[in-house]
Amino acid sequence: MSSCDEALANLYAFLDSELDEVTAEEIKAHLDHCGGCGRPFDFERRLREVIRAKLDEDVPDEIIVRIRTVIALEAHG
Amino acid sequence: MADKATFEEDALQYARQLYSAALRMTRNPADAEDLVQETFLKAYRAYDSFEAGTNLKAWLYRILTNTFINKYRAESRRPKESELGDVEDLYMYRRIAVGDSAEASRSAEERVLDGLVEEDIKRAVEDLPEIFRIPVLLADLEGFSYKEIAEILDIPIGTVMSRLHRGRKAMEKRLWDYAEQRGLLPDEAERP
Repeated sequence: MSSCDEALANLYAFLDSELDEVTAEEIKAHLDHCGGCGRPFDFERRLREVIRAKLDEDVPDEIIVRIRTVIALEAHG
Repeated sequence: MADKATFEEDALQYARQLYSAALRMTRNPADAEDLVQETFLKAYRAYDSFEAGTNLKAWLYRILTNTFINKYRAESRRPKESELGDVEDLYMYRRIAVGDSAEASRSAEERVLDGLVEEDIKRAVEDLPEIFRIPVLLADLEGFSYKEIAEILDIPIGTVMSRLHRGRKAMEKRLWDYAEQRGLLPDEAERP
């Protein structure tokens, strides 16, 4: 397996911070000098940030009130 | 053992996050509210059995997920691994790259990433079959580790990884389609 294949195969685990330290360091070193891998890794990371930011929801305050109410009913009912 | 008297203080801080996840699971606000309310009620009733000092957030997500699966799941109970076609790695990136110019590619990437709106992202998540959608939400929205997701869903870590992998790739394909519909893609002429 070439370093590029290895890096790509570990892309998600790397971005998820799920690799052991040695493998993560190897990939980091590879990304530093391999533009062919650096760019897609960077793209995937930015894509993930966009996804997370846009999934953020305004949560209605009633939800907190509803939870407190059912718990109070359960506790004292 | 956790003390029921401190339940609200301990658990209510996660209500908003749980609601966001619930909304993507149920796909509508009314069911999401019911789901979160039921989750907290169950959690309160079972709080005696929660081991204080362990991962309360993961415990609440486990209850949320199980409640959703048992109550709201419209899809078949049997997971269908084959529901998602195989999508190649780096689906979006490979299609956006413009020739050899890093600069041109970078600006094409920005155009797509900035141009996708909330609705596109939400639809892309909601389009995923449930067995992929839930791990993707737990990882990408909530930031749980593979091990935590494995515990929440009661599946092996290897299964978490393969579902995340396939789910994320399928999502990229959807997002690509939405980007295309929005006219965010580079002109044919600019592409290699």
